[in-house]
Amino acid sequence: MEKMQDNLFEFAAFDEKESEHIAAPRYSYWKSVWRTFVRSWVTIPLTIFVIALVVFSLVQPLQSGYTPTVAPNINNQEMKYLAPSGEHIFGTDNIGNEVWDVVWAGARNSIIVSFVSAAVILVIGILVGAVWGFSKKMDKWMIEVYNIFANVPYLLLVMVLSYVLGPGLGTLIIVFSCIDWLFLAYFIRTQVMIIRDREYNMASKCLGTKTITMILKNILPYLVSVIVTYIARLIPSLISYEVFLSYLGLGLGSNYASLGRTISQYVSFMQGYPHLFWIPVLTLAVLSMSLYVVGQKLADATDPRTHR
Amino acid sequence: MSDMTNREVLLSLRNVEISFDNGGKEKFKAVQDANFDIYKGETFALVGESGSGKTTIGRAIMRINPLSNGEITFEGNRISGKLSKQEDMNVIRNIQMIFQDPAASLNERATIEYIISEGLYNFHLYENEEDRIAKVDKALEEVGLLPEHKSRYPHEFSGGQRQRVGIARALIMEPKLIVADEPISALDVSIRAQVLNLMNKLKAEKSLTYLFIAHDLSVVRFIADRVAVIHLGRIVEIAETEELFAHPLHPYTISLLSAVPMPDPIIEKQREPIVYTETVAEKTGPDYEMREIRPGHYVYCTPEQGIEYYNTSMNQ
Repeated sequence: MEKMQDNLFEFAAFDEKESEHIAAPRYSYWKSVWRTFVRSWVTIPLTIFVIALVVFSLVQPLQSGYTPTVAPNINNQEMKYLAPSGEHIFGTDNIGNEVWDVVWAGARNSIIVSFVSAAVILVIGILVGAVWGFSKKMDKWMIEVYNIFANVPYLLLVMVLSYVLGPGLGTLIIVFSCIDWLFLAYFIRTQVMIIRDREYNMASKCLGTKTITMILKNILPYLVSVIVTYIARLIPSLISYEVFLSYLGLGLGSNYASLGRTISQYVSFMQGYPHLFWIPVLTLAVLSMSLYVVGQKLADATDPRTHR
Repeated sequence: MSDMTNREVLLSLRNVEISFDNGGKEKFKAVQDANFDIYKGETFALVGESGSGKTTIGRAIMRINPLSNGEITFEGNRISGKLSKQEDMNVIRNIQMIFQDPAASLNERATIEYIISEGLYNFHLYENEEDRIAKVDKALEEVGLLPEHKSRYPHEFSGGQRQRVGIARALIMEPKLIVADEPISALDVSIRAQVLNLMNKLKAEKSLTYLFIAHDLSVVRFIADRVAVIHLGRIVEIAETEELFAHPLHPYTISLLSAVPMPDPIIEKQREPIVYTETVAEKTGPDYEMREIRPGHYVYCTPEQGIEYYNTSMNQ
């Protein structure tokens, strides 16, 4: 065997910086959220479906012009109780209205109520909750306010408020916003308290960081996942509450199209014309279920523990 | 010893008492009657077992824990209690902290750039964006990290790197005093020396003063100029490092030093740790105070015990 010669070797330069280098690709939270979100095959079609459903519900009533106060075919016996067909997609009801128009007009109001109140609830709830979690002074009296409202049945609160304010779209938004923000604020307060005293927050304090900056930079980024989970539950539940209240005759009132009132009107035709009852019920189920599932998928994706 | 009297006092604790409300009638006193001075440019170590109150003192200096009695002064100005906005900013800029757990002390949802810039943002300590970036780059370089790390998140770093990010975050404020709360106890043994050497290098370059809180005596011997031993919330002995290791006087210190493991199997086998019980040296009483037994060497004792300690130190 040939003898190894020293001149075959040379000293490799030692670069201390080289060991500090990170080879992994750059991490970005929102990119990882997106990648995790689209990983499951159901999410993309389902998301497209949900968006299409919401957009369609918002647009279709504008085009049909349906209002519950006008019944153009009420004297036309030929137009009543028609079964679903190519011409009348969901059929017609006892006063000759297109069920297709009735259902989408109802869905539109449900979506408006739930989305608008959810937006108001989120803004107020997160802001108040974050400050509440930090301020011991505020906690003292806020917790009492919360205890009072949390121990009164939710439905009772909603019903009393909607009786006082009278029926209507705005009323329902105000009713939901007035009550639900407190529950979200309490939820956020608890979450803030859990991470408030962690060492990195203490470090920020030692650097003189203001509380508001700590909320925005140190606390809320950690809460994205739990907040999205909360939204995923909140929107379908608001839709259900709107339907339920309208079903009881407390929600939107007779001037507004509503899935709840439609269901309560059609429930008497369950034997003779079952499609009248089942079509709005199933529309409601599909709408809130798909919103919930997409919301849950998004909530999972925003949890960094699911990121690969 | 003679130069000690001429040295400038940077931080001074007088009769510091820190208590916590634990729901009972009597508040729990975590620290009682703590008195010591930290001189400019020295590394002052605070050692004691867990629960002895050493971290509490560090946090009191950082004003996280309020004092229930006594006062802390920095460069002659009181920094405990209520401060004006200007004083507050001054203290924050001059006293910074390095935390124990590098995994918990960095905001996981922020980039390294934000973490290091945080102090700069708070007091707007930069002229423009380029100036801020330049300062961050410089701070990263000083602790041996790379400018490319700015856009990274803490979870991508090793423990030692994270701790250096923590050091850079403190350093960018250009502090005079750094409170290092067990900065290496959560690190892997292989990188402890790296962080300690970095701290020593920075101290020399930036003429820093450290309050080094630790329970590891071999580390203290390596890094500290003077040592205070704290036991059950009371400082029992203060001396220069070599003096303390050569002539430990308080029974607790003696016991503590006897517990240091030796990296020699034969000596280690024969080592007999001295067990310290409260009866060996009665805890406290009206006669007890810090007494100077040898030059610069203070022990918490009664006058009689002081004479006894003096005699034994002469015979050593």
